[in-house]
Amino acid sequence: MPEPKKVSVAPLAPNEHVSDGLALMRENPYRPWPARITSITPLTETEKLFEFRLIDDRIREAFHHKPGQFVEVSIFGVGEAPISISSSPSKGGFIELCVRRAGEFTERLHEMQCGEIVGIRGPYGRPFPFEEMKGHDILLVAGGLGIAPLRSLINNIHDERSEFGKVTIIYGSKTPAEVMFRNQFEMWRHRKDFDLYLTVDNPDETWDGEVGLVTAPFAHLEVDADKTFGAVCGPPVMYRFVVEEMRKKGISYDRIYMSFERHMKCGMGKCGHCQIGHQYCCIDGPVFNYWEAKNIQGSM
Amino acid sequence: MAGFASCFGCQINITNIERYLLDVLGQIDMQYWQLTSSDPMPDDFDVCVIEGAITTSEAEKSARLLRDVADVVITIGACAKTAGIPGMASVDYRLRQGEVYGDDVPDVVSDTAYEPRAVKDVIKVDFEVPCCPADPYVFVEVLQKALRGSNAYVRTSTLCGECKQNERGCFYGRGILCLGMVTQSGCHAKCPNLGRPCSGCAGLSTDANLEVARRIASKSGIGAEAFDAAVTVFNQTDPRVGDPSI
Amino acid sequence: MLYRVIDASELPRLIEAFMAEYEVIAPVKSGRSFAFEVVESFDEIVLDYPTTLTSLKKFFLPPQETLFEYNVDDAEVTDYELTVKPRVLFGAHACDINALNNLRLVFDDPAYPDPYFEAHSSANMVVGISCSPTDTCFCHLLDSDEVRSGYDLFLQDLGDRYLVSIGSVQAANILEAACNPREATDEDRRAFRQRTRARQEAFDTSIPDIQEIPMLMDAFHSDPFWEELGGRCLSCTACSAVCPTCYCFDIVDVLDPSGKQGRRERRWDACTSPQFALVAGGHNFRDDGRDRVRHRMYHKLNGFNSKHGRYLCVGCGRCVRACKADISPIEVLKFFERKGAEEELASSSDTGKEERDA
Repeated sequence: MPEPKKVSVAPLAPNEHVSDGLALMRENPYRPWPARITSITPLTETEKLFEFRLIDDRIREAFHHKPGQFVEVSIFGVGEAPISISSSPSKGGFIELCVRRAGEFTERLHEMQCGEIVGIRGPYGRPFPFEEMKGHDILLVAGGLGIAPLRSLINNIHDERSEFGKVTIIYGSKTPAEVMFRNQFEMWRHRKDFDLYLTVDNPDETWDGEVGLVTAPFAHLEVDADKTFGAVCGPPVMYRFVVEEMRKKGISYDRIYMSFERHMKCGMGKCGHCQIGHQYCCIDGPVFNYWEAKNIQGSM
Repeated sequence: MAGFASCFGCQINITNIERYLLDVLGQIDMQYWQLTSSDPMPDDFDVCVIEGAITTSEAEKSARLLRDVADVVITIGACAKTAGIPGMASVDYRLRQGEVYGDDVPDVVSDTAYEPRAVKDVIKVDFEVPCCPADPYVFVEVLQKALRGSNAYVRTSTLCGECKQNERGCFYGRGILCLGMVTQSGCHAKCPNLGRPCSGCAGLSTDANLEVARRIASKSGIGAEAFDAAVTVFNQTDPRVGDPSI
Repeated sequence: MLYRVIDASELPRLIEAFMAEYEVIAPVKSGRSFAFEVVESFDEIVLDYPTTLTSLKKFFLPPQETLFEYNVDDAEVTDYELTVKPRVLFGAHACDINALNNLRLVFDDPAYPDPYFEAHSSANMVVGISCSPTDTCFCHLLDSDEVRSGYDLFLQDLGDRYLVSIGSVQAANILEAACNPREATDEDRRAFRQRTRARQEAFDTSIPDIQEIPMLMDAFHSDPFWEELGGRCLSCTACSAVCPTCYCFDIVDVLDPSGKQGRRERRWDACTSPQFALVAGGHNFRDDGRDRVRHRMYHKLNGFNSKHGRYLCVGCGRCVRACKADISPIEVLKFFERKGAEEELASSSDTGKEERDA
């Protein structure tokens, strides 16, 4: 007689014979792993930076991300949401997620306190080509919440600063109140090894930085096109304008990288929600270079 | 839980899920249920559930009061969602008063009664449980959503996709009028699955393509007029109904 | 592939042998149409059914499926087990088996194998049967009228006998125990060729045979045609419900009535559903019927092809019947035919002009 086929999911026993966290994760890729909120930092009116620590040692040790990747976060009973990782892989043992209150899920996440438990699975997605970028100048452009995935890259570059040439960061926000990680960037403004342009569309009396669109600083930017990688993340309308500026500076199509936002529900190239043309944002992206993006119908 | 112009069938339908009712009530502190108790309405509550259409200025006042107090307003049933059956009277409303009372319309009617309205046309509504009567299981799901939050999105796709999952075939092939192609999905096409065409009690989907649906009705020999008439049963107060541009 | 021949009169014995060990699912009459349902006897099965209302997809990817269960308060995954009964899916047409092969490309992806799909897939034995085209069939235009893998047995009807392609050991064992399979003769092969030719000639020739479909999908991506086609969409998602290859799903949490336990479920979803490409914060990447219908057709006729080298549409014609607004890949093929004719006309008048100028 043929045997019935089974899929089992069970609570995670602490002293099981499986010591390999990757093997545990592969067994059922839909299963989230418990993670504790270990720190919450309010960034703006609508954004908070959450630090999570995966509770099980095996999973925590097996979890390695790269800049530009994302995780699926579960609040049991509410649902699951894809959120890009904001911390650098150079700092292990925890991950940071920068979360805007923008819907039911993030509303609930914002209500949670340190010590509470969520589920995390991942990391997913194609990252920025960090190794390839080494030895080059880097031009990073972030708009609004686009700073969240780029911060992982920025901090990773910071921790391996000697591996890179000139590093320029342009970060645009609508108003001064919406500038995230302001302390970090304020500190960096005086550093010689980061060229930082903070710009806002609508300044107020507290603002002494640049005013104008995120593309404004390009006017006085000197770029050595042959040795520069570009990285862009921001709201959907921003990409076309920024990559055009980068093209004008002579940066090659395949050296301009951008991270796209879609609703990755499964994270594994199946559920279809994050499709852009023929590509899945979750496995083929979210980071694409401009050449690839040009070849995806409906990408920008 | 409050009722306006309706048959109270939705509230009764909720009592039909005896098996789960205690579990559901275990999560909340039931302060007021018009149907089960004559205690007066309390001053403070978090969630308000409304059945029925708004048909008088008095009812409108009560609805506004409920909205002011409640953090969350859930409507149940077609009458609350689309004005439903009471809404059918909204065409030539004054004339209809005459038909009932003749020349001697009582003051209480002429002073306070007005064209029936959906609850959302009077106050802000957070969640809707559609259908006539409201499905008690969907009500529980929506209540959980209101209590705990949920990132599941409300689909505005129309009914045929769910109907196909029941593998029953389409009424249009047999020349029978069915409103599935313009009606909000979510009921899993219960009526078509039992052999009855959809009467549209879940209300028109916000994405209903009425223009094309009318063309299909006409092409299939049912006729656009018959289609229009059927749509009015549960959607009379929808601004798209009777819009000459559609 | 191993080929054997059995007599048509042996078929009931084969079905009975399956029934002894498996749940057998086969095409039966359902209202005015046909459906794949559990059968208890050979007599219920309609061997020469034209097509079914929905496909075999539901036996691999159920419309709703629990992924796991959990306690809400302590955020703990609890014990959950999915058990899939061994089944025989009997009477699948070539297009539908090709469709299952497409699903396997997605769900058996070595990077992220899907354990639930794998359980269904390995519990299902697939027995195919030859067919003759209906007026909505266009599998031959999308390389899906024949199937070379993905089945345990495939029965080619030769009148009083069947030429059986044998794809698995289990099926071979059952076939040999229940019937007297014999070597195919020249006569059998001749009959097979005749049947194949007859099937090829029976397709509706008004459905245009278009070359280079993926290239045309790119070339005419901005054509007003999509506005017209997508503008007709009722947003009913009937197309994807009946489609044997539409695999998109949603993932949602469902609580039990006490709110204490919950389950994570996946449910069929459709890219023609208005909220499909909605992201948190309210931006919808495919906000109208044009974008949604175009995306669906693009994925079927271009996108999947560029990834996997085959169309995601197998030409089964179910959506042609299901869509009341007459939106289907056939409309896209006809559009390309019209475009081709217009271009030919334009180039011939250009040539005429050049000749006159000369």
